[in-house]
Amino acid sequence: MKKVTGNLQKFYGARVTDKTGNFAALMRQAQSGDQRAYAELLRETSRLLRPFLAKRLSFSSEVDDLLQEILISIHKARHTYDCIRPYKPWVYAIAKFRLQDYLRAHYSDQLLLAVDFDELEESLPDHVTETDFSYESISGEVQKLPEKQVTILRLMHQEGYTAKEVAEKLGMNESAVKVAAHRAYKVLREKLER
Amino acid sequence: MANIDELIDGLAQDAAAVKPAPHPFKLSIKWMGWAMAYLIIALALSGLRPDLLLKLHEPLFAAEIAALAGILAATSVSAALLSFPDLHQKRGMAFAPVIAFALLLPVIFIAWHADNPPAPLPVHSFECTLCITLVALLPAAWIFYAMRKFASTHYHWAGSIALLSAFSVGALWLRLHEENDSIMHVVEWHYLPMIVFGIAGWWLGKKILKW
Repeated sequence: MKKVTGNLQKFYGARVTDKTGNFAALMRQAQSGDQRAYAELLRETSRLLRPFLAKRLSFSSEVDDLLQEILISIHKARHTYDCIRPYKPWVYAIAKFRLQDYLRAHYSDQLLLAVDFDELEESLPDHVTETDFSYESISGEVQKLPEKQVTILRLMHQEGYTAKEVAEKLGMNESAVKVAAHRAYKVLREKLER
Repeated sequence: MANIDELIDGLAQDAAAVKPAPHPFKLSIKWMGWAMAYLIIALALSGLRPDLLLKLHEPLFAAEIAALAGILAATSVSAALLSFPDLHQKRGMAFAPVIAFALLLPVIFIAWHADNPPAPLPVHSFECTLCITLVALLPAAWIFYAMRKFASTHYHWAGSIALLSAFSVGALWLRLHEENDSIMHVVEWHYLPMIVFGIAGWWLGKKILKW
């Protein structure tokens, strides 16, 4: 028991006192249908968990949202606690589980909202500075590229097809077209910057 | 803060008396009992291998069956523990299947070395995996149904262990039913697919046991 309490202090940073017995007693009463004891248990639990969550989340609104989810989870899982073992490891297991779920969802949302660099490139304005390259010099260098890359560049930049349409026309997949175009740009840049 | 107080009041009003879940050891004994009953019925319907008594006198075969029974017992205990949010504060015991598999491995290794000259491979191949899967379907459905009544916070692991438990029933059934001495065949079509299904349980656990 001492070891469990020590581990909790180490891992969760929360103040673990000898209230475990109180929690267990309240839960025992709650499981037998005492609504007042149950409300008291949930209040005490939310007091216990708030610092744990506040340490790991940036905004108090997030703490509140997650705390509500955890309380609902405790409600759903209250039959899995038997009052024989300590209450806090049980409740922290649920809290940690919901926190991980929350953080996973939060970061996957951020990834969904993230803007792809390719899209960003398309929306940027064209170069406004003068370049040293003439149309003739670019055109000459393009002709020296492998035939497939020339065809891809011609279709994309002279005839205005998208990478997807070019892929369909040439029987390639879209990413292969993008890769070929990217390699061609790289070669052209190196040659023209010399 | 006011929202939390409201929620607590709401939850407290909804709270009826609940019966605490049984101890995971009790649960696992119950699950093993069901699995054994199912295995006996399956063997009664399909028949035992004709040379079973002779084979049980061979130490390697007996050790293999004992290891498989050990896997069934260990995965049942582990699945029951994994059904509780805090693993019933017996985290170490949840790793029992690792020990059970570690016991099966040397048995297979020794049997493979002892298989000299190698026993002839049976004419069938994937049919064994198919049979094990079919036999394991019902225990798998049952154990997932039973585990859903609790609250697993390790649903990936719980799913894997649940499927391993169900497939150990299937593997045990086939070893007691099929007259086959080729250890290569047994490894390839009995045990490796069992591991694959264990991995599939990782995904299935998330789908079924999330709460």
